[in-house]
Amino acid sequence: MNMAVDMPTELLQPKEEKMETTYPENSIGVPLIENPKMSMRNVDVFYGDKQAIYNVNVDIGKNEVIAMIGPSGCGKSTFLRSINRMNDTVESCRVSGQLTLDGEDIYSAKMDPVALRAKVGMVFQKPNPFPKTIYDNVAYGPRLHGLASRRAEMDEIVELSLTRAGLWVEVKDRLDQPGTGLSGGQQQRLCIARAIAISPEVILMDEPCSALDPIATAKIEELIAELSQNYTIAIVTHSMQQAARVSNRTAYFHLGHLVEVNETEKVFTAPEHQLTEAYITGRFG
Amino acid sequence: MTNLNRTAREEQIQRGLAKRYRAEKRFQLYGAMAIIFGLMCVALLFTDIISKGYKAFQQTYIQLEVTYDAEILGITDLSDQNQVSLGDFQGIVKVGLKNRFPEVTGRKAKRELYGLISNGAGYTLRDRLVANPALLNTTETLWLVADDDIDTYYKSVGSAEGAFTGRMSEQRQDWVDQLAQSGSVEMRLNRNFFTHGDSREPELAGIRGAAMGSLLTLIITISLSFPIGVAAAVYLEEFAPSNRWTDLIEVNINNLAAVPSIIFGLLGLAIFINFFHVPRSVPVVGGLVLTLMTLPTIIISSRAAIKAVPPSIREAAIGVGASPMQVVLHHVLPLAMPGMLTGAIIGMAQALGETAPLLMIGMVAFIVDVPGGFTDPSTVLPVQIFLWADSPERAFVEKTSAAIMVLLAFLILMNTLAVVLRKRLERRW
Repeated sequence: MNMAVDMPTELLQPKEEKMETTYPENSIGVPLIENPKMSMRNVDVFYGDKQAIYNVNVDIGKNEVIAMIGPSGCGKSTFLRSINRMNDTVESCRVSGQLTLDGEDIYSAKMDPVALRAKVGMVFQKPNPFPKTIYDNVAYGPRLHGLASRRAEMDEIVELSLTRAGLWVEVKDRLDQPGTGLSGGQQQRLCIARAIAISPEVILMDEPCSALDPIATAKIEELIAELSQNYTIAIVTHSMQQAARVSNRTAYFHLGHLVEVNETEKVFTAPEHQLTEAYITGRFG
Repeated sequence: MTNLNRTAREEQIQRGLAKRYRAEKRFQLYGAMAIIFGLMCVALLFTDIISKGYKAFQQTYIQLEVTYDAEILGITDLSDQNQVSLGDFQGIVKVGLKNRFPEVTGRKAKRELYGLISNGAGYTLRDRLVANPALLNTTETLWLVADDDIDTYYKSVGSAEGAFTGRMSEQRQDWVDQLAQSGSVEMRLNRNFFTHGDSREPELAGIRGAAMGSLLTLIITISLSFPIGVAAAVYLEEFAPSNRWTDLIEVNINNLAAVPSIIFGLLGLAIFINFFHVPRSVPVVGGLVLTLMTLPTIIISSRAAIKAVPPSIREAAIGVGASPMQVVLHHVLPLAMPGMLTGAIIGMAQALGETAPLLMIGMVAFIVDVPGGFTDPSTVLPVQIFLWADSPERAFVEKTSAAIMVLLAFLILMNTLAVVLRKRLERRW
């Protein structure tokens, strides 16, 4: 009886916890920058009584691609979802600390979460197009926010978004067909088109390639590089190669702590903290 | 050595395999037997009902020569509505019968003779005269509805159990046989069954009143229970915080679904009729009671349908800036609609077949008129079946079965509709 109760907690204790327990007081590297697009200060996130994020301080610069890496369950997705208040939909979730977008407090009473999500778009782990036509998938957001008054304007937005998402050539002849009929990679690019159709300032990507094959992944990565000219992008990824390929800066999360943030090249060539080094050299993760 | 071992092991596996396949065959057999048993029961039920009920769709008619004698009718002025409606049309039927069998004398014998034709025949004649006033003082040969005793007798002649005489005297049997020999008795489609309300005379009793009552009651039920049920389900699934109160509500909804339906009848009696003074025996109060009864079913099935909408769709909508209400209206409801409709129609089918709660609110009354509105006294199909099954006349036996057939036809229709709707609305992408 006792054993059954004890077993899971024992399993939950990560091996690395035993080998290394010291987290730096402040994240190592350059978490804070000048003129940030978004800045997060002393962010704690709780699910009920369980704390998922511990005192995270980090800035995201304009037109920067910041990658968040770390072992499973380290809280990187939770942190990402706090940035556009997606966690509001999780009843037990509580976020404290200060998160700002262009100096405005995201969690203040004045900030409308719907308006916030129009500025901070999101792409999810699994491609999740609506069961509607390709056109309607892209047009949905602009329609919600009243961005186009005439059909021609909407057509323009749809074409531009699909072009930017690198999907226009493939789907321009079948815009009236269901978005769910596309291949996995195309669906994910459709989701990106949907996200950029409302011209957000920041795009959050939660492991956007984890359900895709390498060819589709390469396309999405190319796309991220292109999008970064116009958008600020925060991407959570499991693949260190991907982080290295697409991002300017990389943040390493470990069990809810932001351990190290630095120029991507530096993180992967000369990590400063032991945990970061252990992770990128593949000792765990 | 290893080779030897291997063959031994393979043999062992083979033996085990054979045993497993046998067990599987047996298992499948049990299932097939259960299905066959169920189908046999259904077949038995249907054969019994149909074999008893099909006769009710036919009715014995007697051909008779009648004269629209103004004197007997007591009509001097055809334009006088009152005179026409009070006219003794049954009297000219009696004269017609007397002319057909001139040899009959004596009060008792004459009364028996007049009983050959239904009391409702006079109304047929009146309607003909009103439609065509030129008929006054002329003679025409008509097929008139026979009395139910004659009908039962005539239908049973030549059957395996022999003719059912019942209340028929030998003399009446003789008259019917005479008429039949001269070709003046015929089986015709029983229009009355589909156009009339209830009646004490089986040959005049019809299903129309009960069917209309059911229809009106169901209109009230669906128009109340579907919106309320869906709204409750959406609120509970999408907006309500999960706390002790919502848990309590959920438990109670599940409990309500299991409450015996007669309790809802008592509740309706106490609240709608005694407190709010809604008139009794009317479709409005029946619909209200059935709404209470079907609400839990609709709420539970709607919640299940909403739960089945993938959360990724909700997230996607929230992610592009849809408000919670837009998420529900644009994505959750359209995707959950087939399931919710199916639940609603199954709830309606259940309400259509419900008798017990309606007994408590007076929808068991004997009502002759076909209801024309939501506040006209009426009864419903299952209650009509109950009433007819309770009636002493032999001819009501086949009426009861026929009414069951009509009710089953409606149920099958509704369930088919549910399947078709689900197939139609289900998005296949």
